Order: sequence, then C-alpha cells, then structure tokens
Amino acid sequence: MEKKITPLKAFLFFTAFFILASLAASAHTINYALENKPTHDVAWFYLKLGFAHIIPDGLDHILFIVALCLLSTKIKTIIWQATAFTIAHTITLALSMKNIIAAPPDLVEPIIALSICFVALENLLVTGLKIWRVVLVFLFGLIHGMGFASSLNEIGLPRNQFFTSIISFNAGVELGQMAIIVLIFSTLVYFFGKKPWYNKVIVYPLSILIALIAIYWTLQRLSII
Amino acid sequence: MNRKYIYTGLVILFVAASGLIFFKYLSKKKIEEKKIYALLPRTNALAGLVEWKDKQANFQLLLKTIEKDRSDVKPKLALASLYLSEARVTGNYNYYDNAALKLVNEIQSIDPKNFDALTFKAMIFLSQHHFAEALAVTKEAETINPYSAFLYGLMVDAYVELGNYKEALVAADKMITIRPDLRSYSRISYLREIYGDYSGAIEAMQLAVDAGSPGDETTEWTRVQLGKLNEFTGNLKNAEFNYAVALSNRPGYAYANAGLGRIAAAKKDYAQAISYYQAADSVLKDYSFKEAIAALYIVTGKEKIAQTLNNEVIVMMEDAFKQSKTYDTIGHYADREMSYAYLHVNKIDKAFEHALMEYDRRPANIDVNENLAWVYYKQGQFELALKYIEIALSTKSKNPELLCRAAFIYSKNNQQAKAKEYLQIALKNNPSFSILLKLEAEQLFKTL
Repeated sequence: MEKKITPLKAFLFFTAFFILASLAASAHTINYALENKPTHDVAWFYLKLGFAHIIPDGLDHILFIVALCLLSTKIKTIIWQATAFTIAHTITLALSMKNIIAAPPDLVEPIIALSICFVALENLLVTGLKIWRVVLVFLFGLIHGMGFASSLNEIGLPRNQFFTSIISFNAGVELGQMAIIVLIFSTLVYFFGKKPWYNKVIVYPLSILIALIAIYWTLQRLSII
Repeated sequence: MNRKYIYTGLVILFVAASGLIFFKYLSKKKIEEKKIYALLPRTNALAGLVEWKDKQANFQLLLKTIEKDRSDVKPKLALASLYLSEARVTGNYNYYDNAALKLVNEIQSIDPKNFDALTFKAMIFLSQHHFAEALAVTKEAETINPYSAFLYGLMVDAYVELGNYKEALVAADKMITIRPDLRSYSRISYLREIYGDYSGAIEAMQLAVDAGSPGDETTEWTRVQLGKLNEFTGNLKNAEFNYAVALSNRPGYAYANAGLGRIAAAKKDYAQAISYYQAADSVLKDYSFKEAIAALYIVTGKEKIAQTLNNEVIVMMEDAFKQSKTYDTIGHYADREMSYAYLHVNKIDKAFEHALMEYDRRPANIDVNENLAWVYYKQGQFELALKYIEIALSTKSKNPELLCRAAFIYSKNNQQAKAKEYLQIALKNNPSFSILLKLEAEQLFKTL
C-alpha cells in the first residue's frame, strides 16, 4: 500500500533534516567566557539574552508580534501564527549559528522591516486566519531567525554547550514574544475585541502606524534615508 | 473583490521590494568582492625607506596580475603577504589584517586546502589575538604539510599564548629540527625566557639576529628583542648598542627608538627619553609608546598631562576595537592591554572586566594570570591575587616586572621573605623595565 505524505509529515521531515544537518557543522563565534561555566549559568545567560533581544531591544520584533496579534480576536489565531514564527526562527537561528546558512545583515535587516510592513498592511485586508498567512509568517520567521543569529553572533556561543545556549536563547525569545502577546491580548483584544469599533479604532490605525514605521526602517536599513 | 485585487497588489509590491533589496545587496557585494584594499601612504621616516618604493611597485604589479585573472591564487597570496608585512612595518594591523583576510578568504573559496592561505590565516588570527582559532588553523595546515618550520613556529606562538607550554616545546622541537632560522631561534629564545633562562634566551636571540639580513624589519625587530633581554638582565650598554645598530640599519625604526627611550629613562634623562618615545610614536601605531610617555610625565610631576594621555590611549583602543570588526572578522582582542590601560587611569572595575575577559579565553597563560593577579591586588583582594600570581610564576620566569608584582602581592599576604627574595632577583644588576613599577619596587625593597 502506498504511503501518503501529508503536509505535516513533510514539514516534520524537513525540520528534522535541517536540525540534523546543523549537527554536522561546528563553526560559530566562540564565547570563551562561558565555556568554563556550569550549564545552568549558560542556560540562564542565554535565556536572559533571548528575552532582552525582544524586550527591550527588539522593537522591530515587538511590532511584528503586535501586528500578528491584531489580525484576529481569537487567541487560537495568535497562537498558530506565533508557533509558526517560533519554529521557523529556531531553524534558521540554529543553521546560521552552525554556519550552514549565512545571511548578511545588509540583506536580512531590510527584509525583516519589510515583513513587518507586510503583516501590518495585511491586517487591513484580511480578517481571520487563512493558511497562507501561517505560511507567510513561517517564511518571515525564517528571515527573523537569521536576524537573531547575527546579533547572537556578536556574543558568540560556548563550543561545549552549543545546544544548551541555542535552546535557552530561543526560550528567552519565546518568553519575550509570549509577554508581548499576553500584554496585547489582555489590554486590547480581551477588553475591546468584541466592540463594533474595534477594527476601525484599534486594528486599522495601529496597523497603519506599524506599517509606516516599518517602511521608515526599511528605507533606513537600505541607507536611503 | 476590491480587497482581493489590493491584496494581490500588496503581494506583488512585497515581492518586487524584496527583489530590489536582493538586487541592491548583490550589486554591493559584487563591488565589495572586486575591491582590493589600497596600500596606504606611509608617513615620516617610513616613507624614506628604500623598500617602500619596491613595495609600491610590487603592489601595482600584483593588482594588474589579479585583474587579469581573478581565479589565480598566486598573486593573491603574494598580495596577502605584502599586506601582512605592511601591517608589521606601520603598526596598522586593523586595516592590513582585514585586507589580507579578505584575500585569504577569496583564495580559500577557490582552493580550500591551500597551505599558504591557511598559514596566512593563522598569522592573521595570531595578530588579532584569536589564539584558539589560530591553533585550529595550524592543526588543519599540519595535515596538509607536516614539514614546514614556519607553520610549527606559528603553532608555537599559539600554544604559548594559550598557555600550553609543554605543547609549545614539542612544536618548537619540530620547528628547529626542520629549519633553524631567524624565526625559529627567536621563538626558542622566547621559550627560554619564559622558563627563566635569560643567558640561554640571549644566546638564541643572538643566533636569530645573525641569521637575518640587516635592515629587514624582522631582523631589526629581533635585534630590539635582544636589546630588551639585555635590559632585563641589567646590561644596558649592550642593549643601547643593539638599539643604535637597529636604528642605523633601519632609520627611524620605532621599536629601536623606544628602546633608547627606556635606556634614557633608566639613566634618569627623562626629557631625552620622552623625545625618543615621541619619535617612535610619530612613526608607528603602538599604544605602549604613549603609555611610556605618560609614565615619564608622572615621574617628572606632570600628572595632568599624563592623565590626558592615558585617557587618550583608552579612547584609541576602544575605537580601534570597534573599527576592527567587519563581516569577515570579529575584531582584535586587546583585553589584557586594555586592562592595564584602565589601571593607569584608576578605573579598576573596567580593568577587572577586561582582565577577566582575557582570562576566560586563555586561563593557562602566565601573562594573563599576572594581569588578573595585579588587578586583584589593586582591588585589595590579596588572597586572590596570590592565587593567580603563583600560576604566573609557574614557569619560573625571571621577568623583572612579573617578579616585582609578585613581591608586592607576597608582601600584602604577609610573606615578606618571599617578597624580598623576588625583589632581590628582579632588581639584581639594576635592570631596566617599567619605570613606575621599578620606582615603587625599590621603595618596597627598602622597607623589607
């Protein structure tokens, strides 16, 4: 009997492939200071670093998450998008830190800004979660992961605790994202999501503002302004 | 319906904008790839050297050859070598190391197992103080060619800097067996110095000088090292003679002028010493010259000028570190030097931060342990200072600066006999070394 390959199976296969492939390589910036430290110190250091990379340092990532939250008032919708984003950036972060893929900041940073603009403008045109939105968020997550990698590369990773540091950094990023989601959901979506004016007063103006900021960043990162 | 069209338009716009960004990046990358670092104009005495004209002509020739065929690795190797030599001559390591590294990366993208490219890469890593990376590269190169004395010399340097002295001796043995030359002898000399054998170190350094051709930067650098060894053993006449010879063979040579500056300072001719250091500083970028001038200003009671100069050094070092960071490299590590620079302006916390950073990278190196011990001493943490200075003393080095620092630390740990013993060795024959440390050490010696 012929076995059917479902999209989920294909996704799991490719994720496993990328993660296993990342085990093969070993070059990344070395953090000597942490090579002699116990595992819990390393984990705590990168957890804090990942969190700080979102709050307060990652205003662009914050706006991206806010834009994701504005698509719908359903928590499931937000969680689906956040999960796709997390899986994607975890993959490219690990691959970049293992030097399997390399994306220079000159290329990645403007596209990150552009992706924020896109999801914000999409909020004006789409209501509710469609499959391509999840796919797009996943693709954007891949790009954001490369952005995380270039800043993590500044700090470097201890050679003997590569996975501890990567996983902790990602967990920190995840906690930062969750904090933003909880904040937006509890202050905006939960209280005002069911109001008839929610879209006109909150979603549209905020999305336009985010899109404008993102356009400004895109031009700035391209050294046009 | 309308929304559908707008959405499609938005997707098209996004794809087009991403394409434009990608195109802009590719064009920029193409220009970057073709870019070849210029040979910067030399200033002062360096411009008058005969070799400079040859080097400029050689540079132009190599440029033309590379332009003809960009896949030919030979002229690229020659140009990388030219950059590395210019870095040594001018002290502009930031610029020329990056210039050479760019070429080496290009060569490796064409021929990943190119032995010369690997040795150049190791040299660049050593110059940038990325010692663990340098060692890894030398190991890789060894699998391609295990019969290169030059490679084992680089391996010795990496092992020494990482504090793996036993492995350094093994590599040195291989190096000297394959080819005893200037580089081999000078490394043997340094290893003997580390193990406290000054007469053996002087003997090997003399052999190194004799093996070189007079006037070459490497030969004169070796001669200056010979002078320095003479200074440490109190033979100031010999030291002065070596510096004078180096200066006559290579007019304006900065390290020779700095050597004469130390001799003048030892003779308490401070004005003359300052002028020698200023001459050195005007030719070559080396922060130790400015620090030495600042120390002389302190001795002559001009503390404010000294403070300004020491602060300038810190700003310059911090700037240099930022500038050295490019996409190809992660910068030049100079934390030990920065730690001492911060000590000069009494910023102990910053000094500690940098000392610890360097210690984390190479905890077995004796100089790094000396640095950390000295910062702990300045913090008043004498027991911790003792722990690290004992590691620094583990090879039985007789470097007078190390011994003086050890004496101060032993003294604060109520081990006066040991303090006295170390000072007796350090100050024997009135050697020349860091002027402020020596004055303080002489004071301490009187109280013991």
